Amino acid sequence: MPSDRDPAPPPILSLSDEDLMARVAEDEERAFAELVRRYQGRITNLVSRVLNDRECADDLAQEVFVRVYVHRRNYRRGSKLSTWLFTIAVNLAKNEIRRRVRRRNWFSLDALQEVLQDSAMIFADPREGTERAMEREQLQEAIGRAIGTVPEKYRVALVLRDIEGMAYEEIAVVLNVPGGTVRSRINRARNMLKRKLQPMLRRDGTE
Amino acid sequence: MKCHEARRLFGAFWDDETTQAEREWLDAHFVSCGGCRTEYENFARTVEAVSALPRYDAAPELLDRTLARTRRAAPAHDALPQRRPAWVAATAAAAALVVGTALVIQWVGMGHVTPSDDRTVAATPMQTAPLGAPVLASAPVADTHTAAVADSVFDHSDDIEFVLDPVTLKRGRAALTHPGPDQIRSEQAVVSF
Repeated sequence: MPSDRDPAPPPILSLSDEDLMARVAEDEERAFAELVRRYQGRITNLVSRVLNDRECADDLAQEVFVRVYVHRRNYRRGSKLSTWLFTIAVNLAKNEIRRRVRRRNWFSLDALQEVLQDSAMIFADPREGTERAMEREQLQEAIGRAIGTVPEKYRVALVLRDIEGMAYEEIAVVLNVPGGTVRSRINRARNMLKRKLQPMLRRDGTE
Repeated sequence: MKCHEARRLFGAFWDDETTQAEREWLDAHFVSCGGCRTEYENFARTVEAVSALPRYDAAPELLDRTLARTRRAAPAHDALPQRRPAWVAATAAAAALVVGTALVIQWVGMGHVTPSDDRTVAATPMQTAPLGAPVLASAPVADTHTAAVADSVFDHSDDIEFVLDPVTLKRGRAALTHPGPDQIRSEQAVVSF
């Protein structure tokens, strides 16, 4: 009789993150694929912005999900899945930054200054801009590079807050620091960026 | 000092993370300080520019690549050796100790008789016995060797009279195949060795 049957399990797409992760822990590949689909954009964007390296971000994002899978049974139900994912992503990104610093394969400050000057010339007078799309793209590239020059601990907090839109409390969990430290780091990172980007972002009449 | 304090609060002010008292204090400061007001405008413009950066999409093949890697990783993960319960090792050690002790006691108890002698003596009357032909337990050869060789720590030579017929010897195990003839006078036994 239909009434005696067990209710059909909810489809994967409608599962909460935590229920989805429980299925992943039971080796259900479809659940893991759905988890990757849900978070691949955010993880790739986060890593791209922290590293200012789109190409490397793909490999690192893949590594994030592989680690999630390998440690799938270590996930504690009740904790927020996104926080866990971002913690793994941030740690991997930090490791990559340190590896690059060790290898001296890092974006030079001189190159940044050139980009900023070029961008400042372009954007100082928007009326001359006949190729606005290209200008905007260059500005965004310059901002990305400027973010890349902010010291790591401030940069990560800035990206989590201003690009990923995470709450201070969640950032504190991801970075494992007190809330006051998060607030301080975000403020310092923004002020550093303000000084770097001010020439580009200046508008006529503001100064 | 007031401006320094005000600028330290810019970030939290932007995110609406200040206390009510901090917010009121900063609002009042902006009214009286044009410099901080301008700084805050630049600050806000910077944050807006960062927040407006386009989002990078994941590579189209990221999912497939990730699944391929996890499929390769899965067998290795599942093949991790599982710890055996402690009682398995304890039982195995105890069994080895018992067997070893029994072997030592048997070796000491056999005295001057060599293992080859024992094997020959024990096997000869049983394995060479013609199947189906009655052999009495009181036959001189069998009795002599049974009395001479102690096959265990206990001497049962006075208690057990071995009757090897009618039996079938197969793979070291003797079993009764058919009822014995009436002329057999002793108790029958099945011997396993």
